[in-house]
Amino acid sequence: MKSPPIVPLPVPSVRAYDTPNDAGGSITVEWELSPVDSVVRMYEVYRLEGSPEAEPVSAGFVLRGTQKFQDNNLKDGETYYYFVRTWVGEEYADSRLSNPAVPSAQWFHTGRKSALVILLIYGGLLFYYLQQARSGKPLYIRKIAGLEAVDEAVGRSTEMGRPILFIPGIGYVSDIPTLAALAILKRVAKKAAEYEAEIIVPNFDPIVMTAAQEVVKEGFMEAGRPDLYNEKNVYFLTADQFGYAAGVDGIMVREKPGAVFLQGVFYAESLILAETGHSIGAIQISGTTSVTQLPFFIAATDYTLIGEEMYAASAYLSRDPLSLSTIKAEDVAKLGFIAVFLIGILLETLAAITGNQALHFFKNWFSLF
Amino acid sequence: MMRRTIPLIITFISGILLVFALFIPHKPFGNLEERFNDWYIIVSGFTMILGMDSLLLHHWNKIRRRQADWFHSAALIVAFAVTLVWGFYSGIKVGNPFDPKSTFLQYFYTYVFVPLQATMFSLLAFFIASAAYRAFRARTLNATLLLVAAVVVMLGRVPKGSGASVVLFGIALVALAVGLVLHGRSLVDLRGQLLAYGGAALSILAIIPIAKYFPTYLPAVADWIMNIPQLAAKRGIFIGIALGGIAMSLRIILGIERTYLK
Amino acid sequence: MNLWDRLATIDRRIIYLLVALGVIIPIVAKLSFRVTPLREVRQAYEEIEKLPPGSVVLFSIDYDAASMPELQPMLVAMLDHCFRKNLKVLMMGHWPLGLPLGQIALEQVAQKYHKKYGVDYAFLGFRPGVAAVMINLGKDLRQVFNTDYRGTPVDSLPVLRNVHNYNDIAILVGLEAGATGDAWVQFAQARYNQKIILGATAVVAPDLYPYLQAGQIVGLIGGLRGAADYEQLVQVPGPAFLGMPAQTIIHILVVVLIILGNLGYFARRQGGRR
Repeated sequence: MKSPPIVPLPVPSVRAYDTPNDAGGSITVEWELSPVDSVVRMYEVYRLEGSPEAEPVSAGFVLRGTQKFQDNNLKDGETYYYFVRTWVGEEYADSRLSNPAVPSAQWFHTGRKSALVILLIYGGLLFYYLQQARSGKPLYIRKIAGLEAVDEAVGRSTEMGRPILFIPGIGYVSDIPTLAALAILKRVAKKAAEYEAEIIVPNFDPIVMTAAQEVVKEGFMEAGRPDLYNEKNVYFLTADQFGYAAGVDGIMVREKPGAVFLQGVFYAESLILAETGHSIGAIQISGTTSVTQLPFFIAATDYTLIGEEMYAASAYLSRDPLSLSTIKAEDVAKLGFIAVFLIGILLETLAAITGNQALHFFKNWFSLF
Repeated sequence: MMRRTIPLIITFISGILLVFALFIPHKPFGNLEERFNDWYIIVSGFTMILGMDSLLLHHWNKIRRRQADWFHSAALIVAFAVTLVWGFYSGIKVGNPFDPKSTFLQYFYTYVFVPLQATMFSLLAFFIASAAYRAFRARTLNATLLLVAAVVVMLGRVPKGSGASVVLFGIALVALAVGLVLHGRSLVDLRGQLLAYGGAALSILAIIPIAKYFPTYLPAVADWIMNIPQLAAKRGIFIGIALGGIAMSLRIILGIERTYLK
Repeated sequence: MNLWDRLATIDRRIIYLLVALGVIIPIVAKLSFRVTPLREVRQAYEEIEKLPPGSVVLFSIDYDAASMPELQPMLVAMLDHCFRKNLKVLMMGHWPLGLPLGQIALEQVAQKYHKKYGVDYAFLGFRPGVAAVMINLGKDLRQVFNTDYRGTPVDSLPVLRNVHNYNDIAILVGLEAGATGDAWVQFAQARYNQKIILGATAVVAPDLYPYLQAGQIVGLIGGLRGAADYEQLVQVPGPAFLGMPAQTIIHILVVVLIILGNLGYFARRQGGRR
């Protein structure tokens, strides 16, 4: 066995190029590892600005085993040269100078072309079905038990003389499930106004609270009972997850609502809320896109809107043909995806059996960078 | 009219801009998303005042009107004031209320906030037990499959679980056999009786492979359930949610969905 | 009410009592079980194990006191591993109320290995805006953190002098009690190819398995069990390891309750038919 040489050997080749798909000002330097990589202390990257004769400046260093360095904060349009210094202990060896590279900004992110194509196709589908809906073609939507039960739950709660509790979850107004929850809230509020029932909405986020107040007011107006609307029943609780859970549990135990709606974004507090709701004997309708919380809701509540059923809620409840048409487009897109999956599975299986790397083209086209 | 149109126009423009910014690295599009995020943070910071106003007013009214449980509201306001004042005091004294030297961190955070939060979260253990007891009933074939999968994962993922599983599945199978025999005795037709007794015999026989293979293979089966069927179903739901989310976003951007607006 | 009826309708308060006893007794009696580490935890361990000394590991504290029982032992065990291997440790977080927990653990483990602040580790603290922070870390760390939590300029801390963006961070460890882990994968991994290990509560962990399968994260430590596994791998048995018997007993208790419930359910149905 030869002992490892103490003499540092330079990296065999260095390549510099404009970092792709960025906003400019960056060059990526790539090199092959030094033959003595296992004893290398670090690779130091040097930058020369303007000409190969310029004064080299250290751009930074990386640890052994690394072959890539991204040099940022450069000037667009300027030419840069690089070399890599291989350090072993206190000794070093410099590589040859790299090719010149010029940083620039790109107008199109090539790594995301597949996403763009999918977006355009999906967008096209949506517009096609929107047009269909405008021309008055009737659209079918399957029955969603959880949404059918909304009116019933409000009605039964009113019969028992109890208030209705609507929990919009711990999401923010930027979360799509929260917006979907507000659409459901509007329907619940409208029904509550029709039955002259009290509706309580404790909130986790002040912006959601403001939106919820508007939505409930609108629901009461639509039912022709703006006089019954009480803004004090739609209030802010706390922006702390478990503080919110404790607060809502307290409301449940004190106010004993007859119907509890758990709609929106939920995390670990989902079961704490749903079990307390069950213990007071309320009818519970839950809905969330947080997949990990779905099992808890399914186990502890009477009806659960699973994922996209929630997004379909406003279209389903309003039966607005324009909204329904987007759901139709969604279903067609889903069929398309299933076809893509099947083709992908087939090609990847073939690639695995035959060892033909060319068959990965389909999968590679879909990878995002 | 204006109250509705202007927000819809803002939604439309910012929505479309952000979608296309994803594909354009060049300035000013490349960091548009971050800039919008920064604005959102600033706006949402101020809305906290709105929240505080709503919370304090709600409880103050309760106290003033001596409504039922008004003393809970009083406790809330006192706790709110103590936290706020103590936090500010510590912040001014050592520069940051969460500095290791701050009394706010040393006492309030460590001895009030941490235990309170941990208590709420640990309630889950109790609720999971009671919810599982209530929900996992073998009412239908689907429910039975769910139940068996749940039990396998629960036992397969804890140390000593595989050993316990033999005993537990053994008991369950014996109970099933006894149940089937009782059921068979209550039947009148011979075919039903034979089926019931046969089922009973099969469940007793099933104990042998379980005793033999469960201790070694249960964790692997639990992993398999988590990695294959569990993930498959979850991915299906994820894809549905993603597509639904895009459709919902487009409805919002195009102004078809506007329940969130007045 | 006969025996079967009772089995089918056990009062939930009795269940709560049993759960309480099932947790308290093994902890008070100090029972302990050996665990065989799960593959995804071993994977995480090996990724850290093979880093050359001096590599930078960035910890992100994305949890707070509620999930501390599960995630704090993970953090302590992983910090122990990093400091023992002479790796450099940076810490930040997206959950401001959990950050002090991270800091407490960092100081405690650093002291154990006589590590120096600023040289071997640094605490960066919190900056608002989850996605923006993650994206900007990929461009320039100084855009996000120009000082550490005490206000010391980043450039005057030797540990940070050569850390500019994800290129200089060997592994990112995200400890997750919510959806921040998804954002790490979406922004740090998908955009900048950062190597990520995620530790998560048992509730969140199943959500992260797809990333592990797709190779987007290189290790996954799930729940108390995962923490116990890591503690065993680095041989510093701690609270997670001691919590294992309680967890086992509760799992068995739940299974027993399910069996009892079903016995009662079937017997009643049988009775009803007769």
